[in-house]
Amino acid sequence: MKEVLSKVIDKAIHEFGAEYAEIRAQRLSKSVLLLKEGRVDTAKKGTESGAALRVLVNGAWGFSSVGSLRIETLNNIVSETCKMAKMASLSLKKPIKLAETKPVEDHIRIKPEKDPSEISLEAKIKTMGSINKAVLSCDKRIKGCTIDYLDLTGNDHFLNSDGSFIQQDKLYVWSRITVAASQGGIFTFSREEIGSTNGYELFDKNTPEIVADRVAKRAIEQLAAKPPKGGAYPVVLGPNVVGVFVHEAFGHLAEADLALSGGVLANSIGEKVASDNVTFYDDGTAEGAFGSFKYDDEGVPAQKTLLVKDGALVGLLHNRETAQEFDVKPTGNARAEDFRVAPIIRMRNTFMAPKDYSFGELLEDINYGYYLKSFRGGQANLDGTFQVGIQEAYEIVKGELGGPVRNASISGNALKTLFKVDAVGKDFELWPGRCGKGQVAFVCDGGPHIRVQEVLVGGSA
Amino acid sequence: MEALEKEEMLNLAEEAVKAALKKGATEAEAYIYEGQTTEIGIERGQITNTNRLIDSGLGVRLSVNKSIGFSYTNMLESKEAIEKTITGALNASKAIAPDQDWTSLPEPKPYAAVKEIFDPQISELHPEDLVKIASLMLEAAANTDKRVFPIEGSAGAAVISTALANSNGVSSFQKGTIIECSLATIAKDGNAVTPVCFEFNAERSYAIKPEWVGQESARRAISTLKTKRIKTKNAKLILTQFALQSLVEFTLKPAVKADNVQRNQSAFKGKIGEQVASDRITIYDDGLLLGGLRTWPFDGEGIPHQKTKIIEKGVLKNFLHDHYTAKKEGQESTGNASRVGYLSTPQIEPTNLHLMPGNQTPDQIIDEVTDGLIVFHLQGAHSSNPLSGDFSVVATPAWQIKKGEIANATRGVMLAGNIFEVLKSITGIANNERKLGYLVAPWVIVENLKVIGK
Repeated sequence: MKEVLSKVIDKAIHEFGAEYAEIRAQRLSKSVLLLKEGRVDTAKKGTESGAALRVLVNGAWGFSSVGSLRIETLNNIVSETCKMAKMASLSLKKPIKLAETKPVEDHIRIKPEKDPSEISLEAKIKTMGSINKAVLSCDKRIKGCTIDYLDLTGNDHFLNSDGSFIQQDKLYVWSRITVAASQGGIFTFSREEIGSTNGYELFDKNTPEIVADRVAKRAIEQLAAKPPKGGAYPVVLGPNVVGVFVHEAFGHLAEADLALSGGVLANSIGEKVASDNVTFYDDGTAEGAFGSFKYDDEGVPAQKTLLVKDGALVGLLHNRETAQEFDVKPTGNARAEDFRVAPIIRMRNTFMAPKDYSFGELLEDINYGYYLKSFRGGQANLDGTFQVGIQEAYEIVKGELGGPVRNASISGNALKTLFKVDAVGKDFELWPGRCGKGQVAFVCDGGPHIRVQEVLVGGSA
Repeated sequence: MEALEKEEMLNLAEEAVKAALKKGATEAEAYIYEGQTTEIGIERGQITNTNRLIDSGLGVRLSVNKSIGFSYTNMLESKEAIEKTITGALNASKAIAPDQDWTSLPEPKPYAAVKEIFDPQISELHPEDLVKIASLMLEAAANTDKRVFPIEGSAGAAVISTALANSNGVSSFQKGTIIECSLATIAKDGNAVTPVCFEFNAERSYAIKPEWVGQESARRAISTLKTKRIKTKNAKLILTQFALQSLVEFTLKPAVKADNVQRNQSAFKGKIGEQVASDRITIYDDGLLLGGLRTWPFDGEGIPHQKTKIIEKGVLKNFLHDHYTAKKEGQESTGNASRVGYLSTPQIEPTNLHLMPGNQTPDQIIDEVTDGLIVFHLQGAHSSNPLSGDFSVVATPAWQIKKGEIANATRGVMLAGNIFEVLKSITGIANNERKLGYLVAPWVIVENLKVIGK
């Protein structure tokens, strides 16, 4: 494989005038299940292979993807890819340059305890079936249970014109359980995701009973919940909500491509962007976490990147292109979903660092507010506006937890809200998720419980 | 890699069906997809990248005594890979208990004549032509105002072919084109940065308007430079198509899918014949709509596309079916089995969900609002409750309307309500329909929605 790939790269550099070229060849296998109330709606197995060639010619990118690893096909795309890049370069005002990196030769093998590719589809269906059974038997008011399952295994060969050649195994196991409950015309639903870059042993830790209990109880509890009052209130955010807030409201702004695109953090390095209580990391090295890997898709080693330290912005998330622009080192955040797309800057495992408050201490000074425990979705804009929907929330009354609250959401300006973080808990959780930015990336996000002095809480009716 | 010809694709599909039957499938279906995409990318004010993607593959769905298995591969060059795919589908079916609701794969049926889905001008386009489209868009934005900064955009063209064969004698081929351009801009003035303002245009034939896209996204960004907070109140709103689409996607769309209805997971269950929306609302699912972005002769199971009445004058008429959900109720499929390339099994999706336009011009619609908002985009609609229809979202960008005039942009405004109540409180429909993916709709006026401000 190495010989084939290096021939393609040589051709781009020596025959077609590319100043940089890289190629990723991939073989991927997936098993996918979709269960609806235990009925197997989809049982699917598939294999794909393909190559992605990316070249830089006169400062413009050319990218081609083909579903083939044959040398003739790969050779054929070199000229067209370089030609297209050259054509795009004609109107460039500012040519693209890449930060230097050390060439790497490495072979990363993953040896999971339980390799999902060696487990039969029958066994996987059985596990998902037990989750379904555990969910539906929790309570009569549970009307629906949808279970998605995915495992992805395969390998990557990456070779570039700087002399890097990296072979890397890929392994992901993921499942999402969505539960619907209803009673007297009230509909609620609840969702939970589990995921890991370790093996199928994920389901030994997250047994059907444990998963079912978390997700089903929430849907039931919501049936009796009341809508929140709209307005600004003090809140305590659970690790799951802190995670999505860190990811959506801050993490995307810290992606250097978005920062350069007029995001609010572009010129804030060294400045205070949050209260003293706030420290953020994006960590690609957390063992087994859903957003971890050894090398990114530009061949840069993953690392633990400090973004905010005691409220001050110290770094952003970079690929080689933005690292050059900011005159810093690349952080290993260039990721491509598969060979069909070019790598772009993505988060890995993004979280807030814990401090010293207990959960009770976070609550005790709040006369009336909300405890937002689990999120349903979130979104943010470059100007810092964010929205996070909440699937599990409770009132806080006179320092104590009150009754459940349904369909709440919070919004505001990310940085203004970060300055209002006045207490940070000592616990810590990391939650797996999938992030969309034109392509999907597997990530984790999380943190401890935190208290925010005031945030806009929206609610229906 | 050369494009596959019609005969090649049909042959591959038919051969795969035969091989599956030979290996023991009760029935079998093969779906071949090929997409060729060329795209010119804009980043931070300039054209910086080009992308070319050739993606083709095979998806095999088969049943063995009512147990359904699926498998796919993109290695069409390899006979061995195709064999393995068929075995994979067989093995998948063996892992599953029989589904007694499964009747069979569809029978062949005649397709309606569908016009203007393939334009040779698009399939023969040179990358240079796309560079020109991208440049026109950038120039139009720059000429609108110097404070505008295009952060991201693209100009792209795609040719998509699918062939489908099954053991009941279906053997069909379709080929279509699509061309699109999009631009996302922000405006900067001193310390003020606007939210991202996105505009796009997609067509099946070579008739896109890059200048309009550039101008509109730029004009919108400029007009959100100065914002005001507004007070919490109940107000009249104009929802533009982007905002409407966000709400429809996570609430109305799931409610009209037959599989959700059959699983008791639709708020519309048992409501056929009932008033579910204002009597001004008529919605079709029209898989044959001229120029529609989802217009094709047949769906992901080889069933003819058709025009299905979903809501007529506010009364719920039909749900969206695929072959499986339709047969379960002794009905015929509405042709709504959708596939995202060869990797996916057929799933129920709208084709072109067409909210019929009214008679009023956009100006007349704005004129009707004395104190309200016009909302272009919603943030966070995916956190809605699809079962109850409850939503709580951020409106951005959105403008205040005072006495029939668009006044200032707003910031930090949340909207909260219930989509099914919103459908009932639509009192005005404009005549300015446009296509956004599967949704074809005009602006609508909604009465009395809760607006949460300061």
